[in-house]
Amino acid sequence: MPSGNDRRGTSGTAERRGRRGRRDVLKLLGATSVAGLAGCSGNGEGDGGDGNGASTESATRSVGGTYVSASSVDAQSLNWLTIADATSGSFVTATLDGIWAIKPNREIFPLWGDYSTDDGRVYEIQLRDNLEWGAGYGQMTADDWVYMIQNVFQARPNWSGYPNAADWFRTNPESGQREPIPVEQTGELTFEIRLFEVDPSLPFKPILWRQQCIPRGILEQYVEDQDAEGLQQDEELNTLAYAGNLGPYTYDTWERSARYTVTRNEDYYLQDVEGVPDRFAEAPYFDQQTVRVISEESTRLGALESGEVDSSGIPPDKANRFENLPNVTVNVTPQPYLRMIVYNMRSNGWEPFRSKAVRRALGFAVNKESVVQNVLRGYADVAQTMQPEWSDWYDDSQVEEFGVGDRYGPEETRTRLESALSGTEYGYDGERLVDGSGEQVTLSIYYDSGQPTEGTIAEFVAQEFGENAGIDVQPEAVSSSTFQSNYVQTSAPDGTDPEWTAGTFNGGPRDVATSADSWDMSINLQFNTYPFTPASSKGFFERRGGINFYGYYPDEDISALYEEATATTDEERRRELFGEAFGLISEEQPFGFLAMPSSVTGYAESVRGYDEEFNTGWDSQAWYFA
Amino acid sequence: MRWYVVRRVLWAVVATFLILSVTWGLLAVTPNPAAEQMQFQAAASGGSAEAAEEAFEARRGLDRSPWVRYQEYMTNMVTLNWGWSQSRSQPVIEAIAAALPYTAIYSVPTTILSILLGLAIGLYSATNQYTKSDYAATFFAFFGYAIPNFWFGIILLLVFGVQLGWFPVVFDSDIPFFSLGMARQLVLPVVVLVTGTIAGVMRYSRAEALEYVEAEFVKTAKSKGADGYRILTRHILRPAAVPLMTILVGDILGIFLAASYLVEVVFGIPGLGQLSYNAILAQDTSLVLGTTLIFTFVSVVGNLVQDVAYTVLDPRIDYGDR
Repeated sequence: MPSGNDRRGTSGTAERRGRRGRRDVLKLLGATSVAGLAGCSGNGEGDGGDGNGASTESATRSVGGTYVSASSVDAQSLNWLTIADATSGSFVTATLDGIWAIKPNREIFPLWGDYSTDDGRVYEIQLRDNLEWGAGYGQMTADDWVYMIQNVFQARPNWSGYPNAADWFRTNPESGQREPIPVEQTGELTFEIRLFEVDPSLPFKPILWRQQCIPRGILEQYVEDQDAEGLQQDEELNTLAYAGNLGPYTYDTWERSARYTVTRNEDYYLQDVEGVPDRFAEAPYFDQQTVRVISEESTRLGALESGEVDSSGIPPDKANRFENLPNVTVNVTPQPYLRMIVYNMRSNGWEPFRSKAVRRALGFAVNKESVVQNVLRGYADVAQTMQPEWSDWYDDSQVEEFGVGDRYGPEETRTRLESALSGTEYGYDGERLVDGSGEQVTLSIYYDSGQPTEGTIAEFVAQEFGENAGIDVQPEAVSSSTFQSNYVQTSAPDGTDPEWTAGTFNGGPRDVATSADSWDMSINLQFNTYPFTPASSKGFFERRGGINFYGYYPDEDISALYEEATATTDEERRRELFGEAFGLISEEQPFGFLAMPSSVTGYAESVRGYDEEFNTGWDSQAWYFA
Repeated sequence: MRWYVVRRVLWAVVATFLILSVTWGLLAVTPNPAAEQMQFQAAASGGSAEAAEEAFEARRGLDRSPWVRYQEYMTNMVTLNWGWSQSRSQPVIEAIAAALPYTAIYSVPTTILSILLGLAIGLYSATNQYTKSDYAATFFAFFGYAIPNFWFGIILLLVFGVQLGWFPVVFDSDIPFFSLGMARQLVLPVVVLVTGTIAGVMRYSRAEALEYVEAEFVKTAKSKGADGYRILTRHILRPAAVPLMTILVGDILGIFLAASYLVEVVFGIPGLGQLSYNAILAQDTSLVLGTTLIFTFVSVVGNLVQDVAYTVLDPRIDYGDR
C-alpha cells in the first residue's frame, strides 16, 4: 500500500530543517500513540520509517520483557468515543492503531489504510484487507467507517457527546452554513470524503490522523435510540473487546489509579503487510506494556532511578541529575508548545499594548537566551514566532528576531519605547517609565500558581522589564481554573449589545468586551504552534478569532495569508505563504515570544527505539529491549 | 438506650440526606475546569468552543435540567444504584469496592499500631514523668506530629527505596494482599502514618493518665500490694479510657477521611483517598456522592460507637432517659 498517495504532484514530504519530535503534538490533537502509552517519546532509529537500515536493526530485536512506564494521571475511559484526554487516548492507541500515523518528516505512514486525492478536495480512503475486529464482528470494512461518521460524528444533536464532532462539519461556501462533510462508501474497503473546499492538510489533521473506528454492530445498538448512556457503558467498548488484530497489543487489565496492562498481540495485522520496514515484521517487541499511575513527581522519578519503571518524564530542573545516572538515558525532544507573554490589549489591560511599536520595543526587553539557558536549564529553544525554528514553515529570511544578541538590552528597549510612546501621557523620568501623573508604570503579570517554572519566568520577565524598560512588573499567581474563568473568558457588560461576538473567549470588540478581572500580561497558557497543520493557529491572529481573548487587532491581514496557504495545493507556494505569515507575526509581536520548551524523558538504559525527533513515537510498536 | 440508638440512626439518615443534597448542589454550581479546558482547546485549534461545551454536556448528562439530575442522583442513592463514574468509566460501587481494600490494608495496621504504641508510650510517660525517657517519648511524639506526612513519606522513599533499595518505591497492586511482599511495601506508608497519629494518642493518654497517677484509689491499690501492671491497666487506664475514646475514634476516622490521600499519592496506593479527591477534581458527581456517603456513614457510625462505648467503659453514663 502506498504511503500518502497524494496525486497532486507534490509529495507532501519536505526536507526538514531540523530533526526532533514529541508526543505532545499528538496529545493536543487527541491522537496519541503507543508512545503516549509508554509515557515517552521516540521512534525507531530515526529513519523516519522509510526502512533505511531496518534489516540490520531487525536482527538485533527480539520479543520479550515487560515495558513499564510511569504516568502522572490515569485514563478516564477506554471508550474513545467519550473521551478527550490525552492519557485515555494513549491507552486506547496501544490496542487500536488508527488509520495512519505521521512520521517525523511529515510523511504519512499507512496503518489501517491510506488515502489518495487528485485535487486536495476529494479524498479516497483505502482500507487494508487484513483488518479483523474482535468479538466476532468480522472484517473491518468501509461500511463500518461511513456508518460511524454519519451516525455518530455527524449526528445532530451530538447525542453521543463525541468530543471531536465539530471536525466533521465545515462551512459550505454555497449555503454559507456549517454542514456535515459528505462521506460516501465507494467499495467494500473504500470510501470518499468530499470536502467543500480544498484542504491539502486534511491527512495531517486529527479528523483522520490516528482516527479509530468502531464496528457497526456495536454502534447500531445505540444509534436508533440515541442512547448515550448505553454507548458510554458498553462492555465491549470499555474493555476494547472489539480490537481484534488492529493494534500491537491487546487489553489485559486496567486497575484504576494503579496500572494499565496490555499484552502482545500475536496476530497484529502489520506483521503480514508487505512494503513496510522490516522492523514491523515481528512487532511489537514487548511481551507486555504496563503504565503505572504515579501522581507524585518525586515517586515517579525515584521509580525511574531505582529501575522500577522503564520510562518517565523528567522536569528540566532535575534532568541534569538524570543525565549523570548510568542506568538512565535522557532523551530530549522538541514539542510544539510555545511559552510567551500574552499582552492584554482589551480595555481592562494596559492600552499601549495595542501599539505595534510598543510591543516591538518590549521585544527588546527580555533576554530569551537567558530564559532558555537559566530558567529552562537549556531544555528549550528560543521562540520568535508562532512556529518552531525547525518547522517546515519557518522561513529565516522572513522572521524578525527579538530579545537575542544585539536586539536586546536597556538602551535598545528604552529608545524604541520612548519613540513608540511619544504623543501619549507616558514618558521616561530618568530610568523609570512614568505615566501622566509622574508615577512609574506598574503592570501585572500572571502565572500559574501550580507551576514553579512559570513563577520563575514571571520573576525574570519582571526583572527584565524593570531593568530594561523601566516598568515595574508585579508577578501574580493564580490557579489555572481561575485564570480560565476570570481572565480568559471575555464578554460585554450586561445590557450591552456588542457589534459582534466570537464566542466564549472573544466576546466582542476589545473596547467593549473584557474579562471579569483586569490583567496586563500573562504567561499562564502555552499555545500550540501546530507544526504539522500550521493553519490551525489562524484564530490567534484574527480580530474575530475564537481564541482572541487578548484583543489583538493585527495591522497586516495575516489571516488572509493563512487562508490563501490553506487553499493552496502547491507545497512550495504554501511554504512561502506560511513563511510570510509567520514573518509578519514576528514583526507585529502580538505576543512576547519567549521559548519553546523541550520535552525531557528518561528511559531505562536497555530501552531502544526512541530518538530525538519530532513526533518520534509514531512507530513505538517497534521499540525493544537491548 | 435502645430508643436513643434508634433516634441517632434516624438523625443519621436526615443528616446523610442533607449532606448529599448540599454536596450535589455545590458540584452543580461549580464551574467544571475540564469543560473550560476543552472549550479553550477547541477555540485554540480553530474549532468551536460552544460545540465542545455541547459535547461535554451530552457526555456528562448535563443537558438535562438540574431538578431531573438531582432526582435521579438521589433516587440512585436510595436504591443503591450509585451510578456510573465518568472519570473512571466504571460503576461507582465497583470503584469504591476496588479502592476500599487498599485503604484498609494500610489503615488497619496503622490504627492498631498507633493506638497500642500511643497508649503504651503515653502511660509509660505518665508513670515516669519528667524522666529522660519521658522527655525522649515527648520528643518522639512531637517529631511525628510536626513533620509533614507528605514530606516525610518522600524522604523515606528516597532513602529506603531509591538509595538503599530496602523497600519498593511504587506500590504494586498486583501483589497478593496477605503476603510478605505486601507487608514489605506497606512498611513505609505505615511508618509515616503511625508517626503522624501516634503523637496525639500518646500525649492525650499521658495527660489523662496523669490525672489518676496520684489519685487516692491508685495509692490505695499500691498500698494493698498491687503490681505495677495491674495498677496501670486497671486503676489508671480504665478511668482514663473514657475521655480517650474521643480521640481514639477520631484517629480511626481520620485515617479513612483525611490522612489517606497524602500517603496514597506519595506511595501510589489506589485507595479511597485518591478516589474521592480525584472524583472531586474531575467533578464526577456520582462518584463524589458515593464516596461522600461512605465517609458520612463512617462518621455517623463512628460517633454512635463512641457514645455507646462511653456507657460500656463508665456504667455511670446512661442515655436511657434521652
